[in-house]
Amino acid sequence: MASPQSSFKYLEAAEQLRSNSGQWAVYESTGNVCVLAGPGSGKTKTLVTKLARVLAEDVRAPRSVACITFSNEAARELGRRLRQLGLEQSPRLFVGTVHSFCLLHLLLPFAHLAGLSLPFPLKVATEAQARDIYKKSSEKLRGVGQPTRKEDVDRHRRVHLDRDTRPWRENDDLTGLAEAYEKELRKQGLIDFDDIVHYGQRLVYEHDWVLKVIRAKFPVIAVDEYQDLGGALDRIVRRLAFDGGVRLIAVGDVDQSVYGFNGANSKLLEDLSNMSGIETIPLKVNYRSGTGIIEAAQKALRKDRGHESFDPDRHAFVKTHKCVEGLLDQAAYAIKELVPAALKTREGRQIGDIAILYRNKNVGDVAAIQSAKCGYSFSRIDNSAPYKKVPLTVWIEDCANWCVEGWRTESPPLRDLHWRWLSLQGVLSEAQARTARAKLTRFLWSNRGEGAALEFVHKLRAELLQVVEATRLELADQFAQVDAMQRALEKGGELEGNAKTELGRRDGSPNLLNLLTLHSAKGTEYDVVIILGLDQGSFPSPGWADNTPEKMDEARRLFYVGITRARDEVHLLYSGFEENKYGKRYYNGPSEFLRGL
Amino acid sequence: MRICRIAIENFANFDSVDFATDDCLVLVGENKAGKSNLLRALRLVLDPTMPDRERQLGLEHFWDGLGDEKLGCEVTVKVELTDFEDNDNLLAVLGGFLVSTKTPLVARLTYLYRPKAELKGNAPKSLADYEFLVFGGKDESNVFTSAQRREMPMDYLFALRDAEGDLLNWRRSPLRPIIEELTVKLDDTARVELQTLINNASIELAARPEVAESAQKVAKRLKVMVGNEHAISLALGLAPTNIDILLRSLRLLIDGGARGIGDASLGTANLLFLTLKALELDRTVEAGERSHTFLAIEEPEAHLHPHVQRLVYRHYLGADDDAPKNVTTILTTHSPHIASVAPLRSIVLLRDDPDDEATVITSAAKVSLTKDDEDDLQRYIDVTRGELFFARGIIFVEGDAERFLIPAYAASMEVDLDALGVTICSVASANFLPYVKLVGVNALNIPFVIITDRDPQDGKEPLAYSRVYEILHECMDDDEIEDDVEELFAQAETHGIFVNEKTLEIELFNAGMGPAMAAAFAKHANTWGKTRQGLMNEWLDNLTSLDETKLLKWVEEVGKGRFAQALAGRTSAAHCPDYIKRALNYVSNGFSTI
Repeated sequence: MASPQSSFKYLEAAEQLRSNSGQWAVYESTGNVCVLAGPGSGKTKTLVTKLARVLAEDVRAPRSVACITFSNEAARELGRRLRQLGLEQSPRLFVGTVHSFCLLHLLLPFAHLAGLSLPFPLKVATEAQARDIYKKSSEKLRGVGQPTRKEDVDRHRRVHLDRDTRPWRENDDLTGLAEAYEKELRKQGLIDFDDIVHYGQRLVYEHDWVLKVIRAKFPVIAVDEYQDLGGALDRIVRRLAFDGGVRLIAVGDVDQSVYGFNGANSKLLEDLSNMSGIETIPLKVNYRSGTGIIEAAQKALRKDRGHESFDPDRHAFVKTHKCVEGLLDQAAYAIKELVPAALKTREGRQIGDIAILYRNKNVGDVAAIQSAKCGYSFSRIDNSAPYKKVPLTVWIEDCANWCVEGWRTESPPLRDLHWRWLSLQGVLSEAQARTARAKLTRFLWSNRGEGAALEFVHKLRAELLQVVEATRLELADQFAQVDAMQRALEKGGELEGNAKTELGRRDGSPNLLNLLTLHSAKGTEYDVVIILGLDQGSFPSPGWADNTPEKMDEARRLFYVGITRARDEVHLLYSGFEENKYGKRYYNGPSEFLRGL
Repeated sequence: MRICRIAIENFANFDSVDFATDDCLVLVGENKAGKSNLLRALRLVLDPTMPDRERQLGLEHFWDGLGDEKLGCEVTVKVELTDFEDNDNLLAVLGGFLVSTKTPLVARLTYLYRPKAELKGNAPKSLADYEFLVFGGKDESNVFTSAQRREMPMDYLFALRDAEGDLLNWRRSPLRPIIEELTVKLDDTARVELQTLINNASIELAARPEVAESAQKVAKRLKVMVGNEHAISLALGLAPTNIDILLRSLRLLIDGGARGIGDASLGTANLLFLTLKALELDRTVEAGERSHTFLAIEEPEAHLHPHVQRLVYRHYLGADDDAPKNVTTILTTHSPHIASVAPLRSIVLLRDDPDDEATVITSAAKVSLTKDDEDDLQRYIDVTRGELFFARGIIFVEGDAERFLIPAYAASMEVDLDALGVTICSVASANFLPYVKLVGVNALNIPFVIITDRDPQDGKEPLAYSRVYEILHECMDDDEIEDDVEELFAQAETHGIFVNEKTLEIELFNAGMGPAMAAAFAKHANTWGKTRQGLMNEWLDNLTSLDETKLLKWVEEVGKGRFAQALAGRTSAAHCPDYIKRALNYVSNGFSTI
């Protein structure tokens, strides 16, 4: 047999879905499905079990299944969950972001053949290069110090996929900047991150043969966190599913769409769920939160989604607290009162079961200082991460973890590290792959044990990565993130002195208090959630950050995401005023999101 | 799916060959022309059972014409594939290897043997500095993996293999999957039923007094030797009786079950082997083990009766509707019986190019013919046992008359057509064009001459004018072709087309064959009375007085072929019509005017 990689563990896992009618319907589905998964509804479990079934029963080699996720972090988690069902990344299973899908499976194989007017060989600009090029091209066009940010131009490029339509033409400012920027990129022989998806989408749209080949290669495509993926992916997916006959398994939650500033559009998922030719299955049972939290969350959202708790009798509540002295007071109250109280409420609860959430980094700083003062070690995840999680950096983290302890427990498994190492290098012949595997194994084996992360990354780079860096130009942007990783570990960097174990640890250990932005909190869950800074003008901030109805809606969804992270308790803290950096107070009352809770 | 193009450089007999192919490939060529090497080249790309150390070539595998320059050269084998879009599995594999995105898609696989990349252009010191790559598309880092190869493998049946041995060896037997399928399919009731039948037969047999007695004999002696204590109970029976083991012991029997394969003739064993192979290929596709097979059979004629050869390969080559699906059949053959049933476009000719010490490969895959012409040609090739494909040169003639006379004239001019490998082909009309397309430079590229009648018409150009014009049109641009009748015919001779003044029989008469013709009439004409004899004598006395119409009428009466046959014994170089003489000189000059 052409070795169908299958494990029968999914049959056991499937038994756990049987009693939930929504989950079971997904498991039994044979056509396109759109799964609208509320918070805590077991969507990941449902998705991985379904994927395992598809791989075992529906798709055989040489055809494959693609599972597209929002971030590399999410891809890693999904990979871990699939491994528990006995499924490894392999030529039969792609798990990755929309960018890696477009690069690996559309641009690299087809861009040249399709005659796209891109510089070949494809080389992806590093973030620094892209910034530099933007600065140069925009200042040439508009003069030094021109005010338009690159993010806005990028969003404009992301949102308007058809370049010959009026919205693209009518916005002279952004369009002009975008075109000048792209021209300069090409001149330097580069494409950028957004080009990858843009041209991926064009390949699928403009060339029927590409559609045919993708359909042959991936008869089934799953998309997780659909609401956070922008218009380009939505177009790719629709074209594949409705014109190409690819079977689609889309999973998402309209209410948890919080990346509008990035070009995401929650409406895309809603539209998809209303299309004919696709079965929409809501998952309404919440396995995470108690009834008190679920009801408050729906009120906060101002929508009744009919969600219900799996365990309705469990005691769970949402409580607001006024701290009259401002943000500092909120942080102090949270850490001195609420955290110790929460630890006492339930036996066995650990500090790691508690999370403090906030909207932006500044609030995070206050919380961090306060918890340090009170002697709580903490793990902090915000947007100010010192390097990005790209497949290469995530792989390096996992390699480090394997060396410390993972080689004893097979977590992550060596073969998974092998596979990811090989796939970074494109397709290798068996002999080349064998050599590459042996080299990696030798390296990891001789670097076992705890040690400084910096030294480890240096060595890895010198002994293994150098060759790849020289030959795989399309990885240039990922190597820039390895540079950032190294800088952060060096003297004076944010991660100075980190040990291998600490590299890439996401979920803090049970002994660390969790400090996260609301955006970073997506996909997590804690016993107790404390949200700081719920003052009108700060969150939401109708006069500034949330100055349109769409942005206001998104801010509300962000609040909803925060509440729904909690199993047992939610504490919402406010002062009734916000303070600028000079200490001036603006009394706008508590956040409007608290009204009616 | 099918192979649509093969290109080889610097390998074995091949300096540089590049040819188009159709659904199947029938490789025709003399011994040592490189038929097996061509298969080997394909195996480098497609055969999953070929070990990688064999892909690491030796210097002896480089093209010999390279002489001392071998080290440093690259060996390449390119195989292009098309018509795979309807098969999802194949598209999944080949979709990453495209070289043409027009419909139908074309994918390319390349075997490349070259100095290691790490030498960075420095000269290799030995073959230890060489590496091989097998990749898809145009990017050499796009590896064609062995898992992908197993999806569309090449099955290679080498010449003179031991079909009988393979059939008898359970592990290798193509019968094995069929028995295994049978074992799985039997339901419990049937199993019990069969088991009972066998048990009963076994018990009955053992219970026969004669059988029991024989068993007793052994048992008694055993007891004498080791005593009661150590003796074990013995019986004779049919062994074994477990149903699964029994099924595995099933063998193909021939002649109504009287004999096993071991007693079959080599031919029968081969035939059975090929039958089972066809079934196995179907099964592997149905079971999802692979999506396509390139079935290469080397010299399949071995041990098969010509008639059976034709039937078996007509099946494998897809002439029938029940031809195996998802199979590309590739044969090498000397056998006219196989060549004659091969679809026209499957023919791939391998010939030595004496100037280059290399093999030249031509194919008929791209020849453009109307459906009718193609059917005509196919029938002609079938009837003539594909002799065209084995010829080193061809003389095309209009009919049987020339077929009898040309060899006779050649003999009298001491042009040994057999030694030259030249065959005479009668197209039974004046429609040479399809034949010319098939053997012309754009297809099989076999040298040829055409001998044809002028067929004059009153007040118009002779019929031969447009006939010749169309043929020349196949080998040159329109504006190079002469307009004037005589100039056109003169030009045609430089391309091997020889036109007479009128009609064969008139030319014969004028060349001095009159007396011989008179003798032939005397023997074969309906009447050969005084009047006719008188007329003939008159014509002989004064050649210009010949009544052409009358003469031709008499010939018709006898039948042109029969008449020519009668004349053939009386030919001589002195009485050979000029245009035939020129044509034969052209042939003996190696198909050239010089």
